[in-house]
Amino acid sequence: MEVLFPRTLEELKELFVTYPDGRIIAGGTDLLVQLRKHGNKPSALFSVEHLEQLQHVEEKETEIFIGAGVTHQQLWELPIIKNYFPVLHDAVAVLGSPPIRHSGTLGGNLCTASPAGDTLPPLYVLGAKIAISGKTGKRCVPIAEFIQGPGCTMLEQGEFVTGIQIPLPAPQAFSAYYKVGKRKALAIAIASLAVMLEVNPDETVKNIKLAWGSVGPTVMVLPEVEAFLKGKVLSDEILSQAGKMASLGVKPIDDIRASAEYRQCLTANLLLRICRD
Amino acid sequence: MCQSSRPLTSAPSVIGQSAPRADALTKVTGEERYATDYYPENHLWAGIKRAAYPHARITSIDISQAKGMVGVVAVLTSKDVQGSNRLGIFEKDQPILADGIVRHYGEAVALVTAETKEILKQALAAIVVEYEPLAAVFDPQAAMSKESVILHPGRADGNVLLSDEISCGRGVEALADCEFTAEVSIEVNWQDHAFLETEAGVAWLEADGTIAMIASTQTPFRDRLELAEALKIPPTKFRVMAPYLGGAFGGKDGITVQGFLALAALHAGGRAVKMWYEREEHFLAGTKRHPAIMKYKLGCDQQGMLQALDCSILMDTGAYSAMGGEVLELAMEHAGGPYCIPNTRIKGAVVYTNNPIASAFRGFGVPQVAAGIEQAVDELAKTAGFDLLQFRLKNAVRRGSVTPTGVLLTQTVGLSECLKKVADHRLWRERELWQNSAPAFKRRGVGLAACYHAVGFGPVIPDYANAKLELAADGHIRVFAGVSDMGQGNAATYMQIVGHILFQGYDNMEIVLPDTACTLPSCSSSASRTTFTYGNAITGAADILKERILARALLLFSFQLLEQLNVQDLVLLPGRIVHQPSGREVPLQLIAGFMDESERIATYSYTCPVNKQVLPTGKKLRHHGYPHRVFSYAVQLVRLQVDTLTGEIEVCDLLNCIEAGSVLNPQVFEQQIQGGAAQGIGYALFEDFALKEGKIRTNDFSTYILPTAMDIPNMETVVVPLAEDDGPYGMKGAGEISIDGILSAIANGVAAIIGTRITQGTLTGEKILLALRQAGKEAVR
Amino acid sequence: MRVKFMLNGKQTIVDAPADRRVVDLLREDFGLIGVKECCGAGECGACTILVNGTSRLSCLMLAAQLEGVEVTTIEGVAPEGSFAIVQQAFIDCGAVQCGFCTPGMVLAVLDLLQRNPQPSSEEIREGLSGNLCRCTGYQKIVEAVQVAAALLKGRRA
Repeated sequence: MEVLFPRTLEELKELFVTYPDGRIIAGGTDLLVQLRKHGNKPSALFSVEHLEQLQHVEEKETEIFIGAGVTHQQLWELPIIKNYFPVLHDAVAVLGSPPIRHSGTLGGNLCTASPAGDTLPPLYVLGAKIAISGKTGKRCVPIAEFIQGPGCTMLEQGEFVTGIQIPLPAPQAFSAYYKVGKRKALAIAIASLAVMLEVNPDETVKNIKLAWGSVGPTVMVLPEVEAFLKGKVLSDEILSQAGKMASLGVKPIDDIRASAEYRQCLTANLLLRICRD
Repeated sequence: MCQSSRPLTSAPSVIGQSAPRADALTKVTGEERYATDYYPENHLWAGIKRAAYPHARITSIDISQAKGMVGVVAVLTSKDVQGSNRLGIFEKDQPILADGIVRHYGEAVALVTAETKEILKQALAAIVVEYEPLAAVFDPQAAMSKESVILHPGRADGNVLLSDEISCGRGVEALADCEFTAEVSIEVNWQDHAFLETEAGVAWLEADGTIAMIASTQTPFRDRLELAEALKIPPTKFRVMAPYLGGAFGGKDGITVQGFLALAALHAGGRAVKMWYEREEHFLAGTKRHPAIMKYKLGCDQQGMLQALDCSILMDTGAYSAMGGEVLELAMEHAGGPYCIPNTRIKGAVVYTNNPIASAFRGFGVPQVAAGIEQAVDELAKTAGFDLLQFRLKNAVRRGSVTPTGVLLTQTVGLSECLKKVADHRLWRERELWQNSAPAFKRRGVGLAACYHAVGFGPVIPDYANAKLELAADGHIRVFAGVSDMGQGNAATYMQIVGHILFQGYDNMEIVLPDTACTLPSCSSSASRTTFTYGNAITGAADILKERILARALLLFSFQLLEQLNVQDLVLLPGRIVHQPSGREVPLQLIAGFMDESERIATYSYTCPVNKQVLPTGKKLRHHGYPHRVFSYAVQLVRLQVDTLTGEIEVCDLLNCIEAGSVLNPQVFEQQIQGGAAQGIGYALFEDFALKEGKIRTNDFSTYILPTAMDIPNMETVVVPLAEDDGPYGMKGAGEISIDGILSAIANGVAAIIGTRITQGTLTGEKILLALRQAGKEAVR
Repeated sequence: MRVKFMLNGKQTIVDAPADRRVVDLLREDFGLIGVKECCGAGECGACTILVNGTSRLSCLMLAAQLEGVEVTTIEGVAPEGSFAIVQQAFIDCGAVQCGFCTPGMVLAVLDLLQRNPQPSSEEIREGLSGNLCRCTGYQKIVEAVQVAAALLKGRRA
């Protein structure tokens, strides 16, 4: 495999023409593990670590733009993430391990498109849009469209993610992420939940966004559960009822980490954990 | 960068005092060379083609394509093995390379040597093996039935490797007379050693035809004997060197890569060969802890005195025997726990299946049975209405007691002292406070277990060590370690003992690690006997050397002072000898110069005393170690917190109260206790080993879950230091006792929290949540 | 390809396949055997190195990625014959058993203390959570980090 270092987006586009089977390597924490496991090496890897256009975080008035090549560690250290996007801050804090976070990037986590990817549920509840660039030009799509299945995104040959655009949440919004893994660190999610919540002065729910990880082929969003909770006070009883609905709505599988049944239980119970704890 | 100068202390090491391990100096800088770190000049890489079936007849092996590849040096199959092609200790049943039948998934079929790792990989892929699949058996109970496929035809007992029964007093009849009884059925899972340094080594042919190898092995001397028979080469034609091991825990007790290395070296045209398993291959090829199916029925009288035990243990040893018989023996001998139970029946069997091979793993059968008896004891105490700790104390063995397997305890027994210390400990006294202080959606509880663990090999297999010590010509003391140091620090302890006797500091001593060419034959690094036995031997050698040094010094001083001197007037000091009355000194180097090489080297042979008791039952177990003589004791307590929403469980505090004789180096002792307990936590909660039809599903570190620094609590270690007559400076083995009770303590704590027992396998969050749900306690605040 | 980088303080040029794993390059080409390999998949931390001062996994890096960076392996944390404070603390506190995780662990500690000079015991455990140890149960490692942090604080004062 050749390893090439484009310095601009234009160079990167050209590389995809020269090496049609080439693949982008960002942190390498997923890609190199996959290549070791499954062989199938492409003819070239395009490392984006020196591609400065992907390393920016731009804070705008109503949104933030995070370059695809920003590492989890960098995100975790950014005051704006901690202050305005606690749900994303929570997620990068429990993603992998310190050396993984030093290498791995937000764009990489997104493009791996694992249903267990820790940053994905937060990006769903935050209403993130994915900025894509390629030979046919640019586009920007909601994350739910971008992710199409386990390990599968809408990226076409020659296309790549340049960054993630996230609207600033309402100032009083509460947001959080909770993951259940098989241990406290270096854990792949068995189930996870991201929540973005706004409450009215009378404690009823004004707005709620929920996204579950690892309980379906992609991150699971259940509008019926969100609709059910809207206008209600989040008591244990209400959350249990919502949990029951949610556990019926998700599509978990049995795998080496957990059974579908356990994942269903967690789908429900995480609502209590995150909204009441 | 901030730094300090090298702290090679000249202060003499003293028994009983914490001292940094000598090996830490070279390990912390990365200089220390493990078996993985040898890259001999112009070496080849060797690798293994492994079976794709759990049980199959090999119909053909086509090596032609692999053999023809550029960069491939040799492709070998069982046809290239000249000897018996059988490895093993008691039962020599395991081929180096499969000859005809493969009996477990991943069994070695062919061996390739190549110029590079990449070519090696391609060549292995190019070997075409055709199989005729055979019926396979994965369930140890099914393996015992008459209908089962037989793995090793021609054996008298079918798939049963070893079975026996120990019976004491009136046996099971006495259960009928018990006021209270309790029953538990427990199945414990496999466990992988998961040492960080996977199996590795290098080998080459020396000029005289000797096969030399540097391997990560706990058993350098025994390896030669195993290899000799399998390859039909005299044992003296092997030279095995064992550098520091990057962990082993029993998983390198015997041949791992050594057979392949020897075979590869014989066909490498004089070049060195190197092997180093990848993590996945380690999972595939390495041995595991035996899983066990146990049934316990335990009874006591109205006063709470244990009266009767009926239990059965069934262990799965996988495709080959390895140490299956010995693990079963130790399990059975400890099956009744460290209690006085006059009437017992303990049935045990270990069987072959087409699963991975189970063998030695720290604890060696005891963590398994402890999970049985300690949960039965908890259940019985609850049924009969006794305090869990007082109940254990009431029934605890003391020196002079007879164990549930009829073993008379003639040596030190500190169990009662351990129990009393725990009874007085804050973590036990405040258990109700702990239980009642759980935050929302959490439940808290405490779990307890008491254990003992035998030291050594038992009455038949000699537990010996031959120590060697040299006063080098330059005045250095050279300590020859005949036993591998797999990380437990025994090599440093040998230096400590020698330094203590000869009054020398680390700066005047060096260690020579096991090398069959220059260290002396000694048994393995295993069985809580590594420091116990070799420590006795090295003490003897140091005493001899000291006497010789002083005697020769006496001659020198006599010449200088021109008078009749007394050896009692001489004192060894770091690097020198002082004649106290005159204050005159001579350096050790000078004494060394006045000694012949034959005098400068002292050797001492030590064999452990054994239990001479003749026991009426369990006759077949005698060869495998029954009965033992010396035991270490422990009481372990955990404080747990369970999450009622997720089933996640946390060990918040852990107390190890240990009686393992006197403590030579408190720091090294604590290392053993904390490390063993952490592996116990892994065994209990995280390492959820999974098989599907003989194939390991948890075959890497993303699926086989080891606890991280965030999953292990701070632990407290309390020592009960009774001096044991047999042990050097009163010590007993401490390498295994700390893992023995953790699973049972945690299981008891979980049962106390949930109200029901999880009786099968690893106590995962998933199982806990399910149990909470069944108990109506899921999502309870 | 030719890769130019700083290795343990020395300007280094090496000719290596671009996709050669850094762990292989360091161990086999440079003889830096203190860089351990244990899982090959980023799950254990044994192969940790510092890249521009940050802990990275050398089993998940390719030779080409070294161009222009500063690499520190365990061999480079202190001049020969002496110890970094962290190494000294590991020795004194008994944080070393089999020692196979130790080089990676020490480098992870250096990264941690540089980010957070006075970490709490929780923060230490979190900071070392990418480095598995099978021998120690971590406790003495945590103690060693506390001792090192205190010593370093004294030095700075």
